[in-house]
Amino acid sequence: MAKGLPKSFKKALWVYHCNSGSCNGCDIEIIAALCPRYDVERFGIRLVGSPRHADVLLVTGPVTRQMADKVKRVYEQMPDPKAVICVGNCGNTGDVFYESYNLVGPISNIIPVDVHVVGCPPRPEAIINAVAKAWVKLETLEAEKR
Amino acid sequence: MSKKKMSPEEIVKYFKDEFKAKVKDSRVEKRVAGVKKKEFVNIWLKIDKSVFKDVIKHLCDIQFPHLAVVSGNDLGSTIELIYHFSLYYGERLNEVSLNISVELPKSNPVIETICDYIPGALTTEREKQEMLGVKIRGIPDSRRLFLPDDFPEGVYPWRKDETGPKDMVRNLHEVKK
Amino acid sequence: MKKKESVKTTTKTTYQIPIGPIHPALKEPVMFEFEIDGERIVDVDVSLGHVHRGIEWAGMQRNPVQILYLAERICGICSYSHPIAFARAVENACDIEVPERAEYLRVIHGELERICSHILWAGVAAHEIGFDTVLFLTWEMREKALDLTEYLTGNRVTKAIIMIGGVRRDITSDMVPKVQETLKYFKDNFEKLRHIFLDDKTVRLRSQGCGVLTYDDALKLCAIGPTTRASGVKKDVRVDQAYAAYGDLDIDYMTPDVLTGEVNGDVYDRIIVRLLEVKQSIDLIEQCLDKMPSGDILSEPKIPKLLARVKKTAGEGIGRHEAPRGEVIHYVKFDGENDNPYTWKARAPTYNNILPWIPMLKGEQIADIPIVAASTDPCISCTNRVTIVDNDKNSRYILNREELHRMSIEKTRRLTR
Repeated sequence: MAKGLPKSFKKALWVYHCNSGSCNGCDIEIIAALCPRYDVERFGIRLVGSPRHADVLLVTGPVTRQMADKVKRVYEQMPDPKAVICVGNCGNTGDVFYESYNLVGPISNIIPVDVHVVGCPPRPEAIINAVAKAWVKLETLEAEKR
Repeated sequence: MSKKKMSPEEIVKYFKDEFKAKVKDSRVEKRVAGVKKKEFVNIWLKIDKSVFKDVIKHLCDIQFPHLAVVSGNDLGSTIELIYHFSLYYGERLNEVSLNISVELPKSNPVIETICDYIPGALTTEREKQEMLGVKIRGIPDSRRLFLPDDFPEGVYPWRKDETGPKDMVRNLHEVKK
Repeated sequence: MKKKESVKTTTKTTYQIPIGPIHPALKEPVMFEFEIDGERIVDVDVSLGHVHRGIEWAGMQRNPVQILYLAERICGICSYSHPIAFARAVENACDIEVPERAEYLRVIHGELERICSHILWAGVAAHEIGFDTVLFLTWEMREKALDLTEYLTGNRVTKAIIMIGGVRRDITSDMVPKVQETLKYFKDNFEKLRHIFLDDKTVRLRSQGCGVLTYDDALKLCAIGPTTRASGVKKDVRVDQAYAAYGDLDIDYMTPDVLTGEVNGDVYDRIIVRLLEVKQSIDLIEQCLDKMPSGDILSEPKIPKLLARVKKTAGEGIGRHEAPRGEVIHYVKFDGENDNPYTWKARAPTYNNILPWIPMLKGEQIADIPIVAASTDPCISCTNRVTIVDNDKNSRYILNREELHRMSIEKTRRLTR
């Protein structure tokens, strides 16, 4: 991980996934990361069912008008310290959906994003890499507090 | 209800016999595919809006049709609705695609529902109401389907005139200063 | 789907449960509202639209080649079906010929996608019943199919292999051994898959008799895909219409009586239909590899010439394809002046399969909601935060998705005790 940081995160990361109107491609790759070939559970990373248990938020999709406030609410329900990973090109810049009457813009307009994963859809290895980077960021945040 | 299978020309004649001048236009397209050049048939019919419900009833007498979807065109002063049906499914290479189009004036875009004959038409009729501004008379459920509830009234995304969604379009690639 | 009327009995009133849009595990958000009497569902109401991205409007501002990439991203799981239906619609509207070799290649890619999608569904259905091991087992098998897809097209999910007038990449003779090796792997393991799903007592207990859709309902509500074939209605675009190379191949409708001899229209029948279709897809790919003609793969390789040709034609066309979930239909109209389509309508298969949810879910228990909804293989999914509003006592308590899922698993345990 990151050298020189005291090991503050005693437990493994729990991840909550939120779909704000995506095509499901990125969501399938997130689930594929849990499956035996890429097996992210051996690091202790698991998908939880409620944002209140989670450390990391994975958001996919360009945000539709209906989902904008719901994504914001999910972000506010997560306890600190938290990190947000934006998976897929739609959430980063809009990708093919760059012009629409029902979309409210890239995810960084709604909630602050820490790690961007590029790809349409990104491979499971890229998603695992992003969660590892978020881990480093969270450790840094914890270390700064002390 | 299941009589012998009619050829595409006979189907067109079946409608023309019953409704005479109200069938404004008809077209039978045949295309081939594959190495063995098997053909498939598309029939396009244009009918007058006053006999629309009777045409649907007449169609249900041939065989209960499969309604795929209703698509719509904004043609300037009229709105054209095209009902995509298919008949004679269930046997190998027998199916015929039948597309019935109806024109409605923009000043009075009202048409009757076909949900009493074909209950599966509800979803697509609701979509036409909100996307094109067509009023469907007698529809059992006229709430919005895809657009959010706070989308302004009177803005119809598929229209090309002043009621289109031009003001609501955002460009996600814009870089904010 | 009338406006909800609460069923008032003398002593009890019904609850109304809204199941909101955000989902922790998978798929798109959709909102359900159930009206519950005790544990039984009395009425269902579905509200869609949370994923409405204005794609058809965006498509009308772009040219057909750009729309192909947009159409792929309508849905990531059936990401091959939308471009092929759109390409067929444009080819029908503008009278563009497709070479024979390209038609066979299109069939191979379509059937490969069907295998991936049905195995994905099998894993999700097992997860809803409570067998997580089967989820991992089936998705591991799916990885082999994804490896083959990556070898043939370059990407696992969004393949971008279709072009108007043909396909973009060829399967050359040195690629064929890898295809055959993957097919052999599936043929060897198909028996294992069939044994897990169809011979298991628990799967039968949970799924037989549950979520029944009768023949009449399926016909009247215009249901499509494996949902309707499991109720006995024979609708399959590949068998009914001769398009791509399906007119030359040996193919038939897959209804449950092919395996068991009877048709019930319940969840178990839908599992049977999908597993039979996996076997059928393996067989179709082999037939295509045997009969593949030689020739070009694109009738017009230069894109500016293609676009100029589209620009000059005025006409309309429809294109249909049998996606893993049902029939996909696209309608396109050109006006002869620009190469943007004047109108484009895309209809995904799940939109026809939403109305059948209502007769399927009435009378079932809450714990059956995940498996019945998942059995129609929706490309829009459901359930997360369930708020139960107790009308009598004016109290609210929240069930999250884990609890709903846990109720489904507990029912399995109760049945097997």
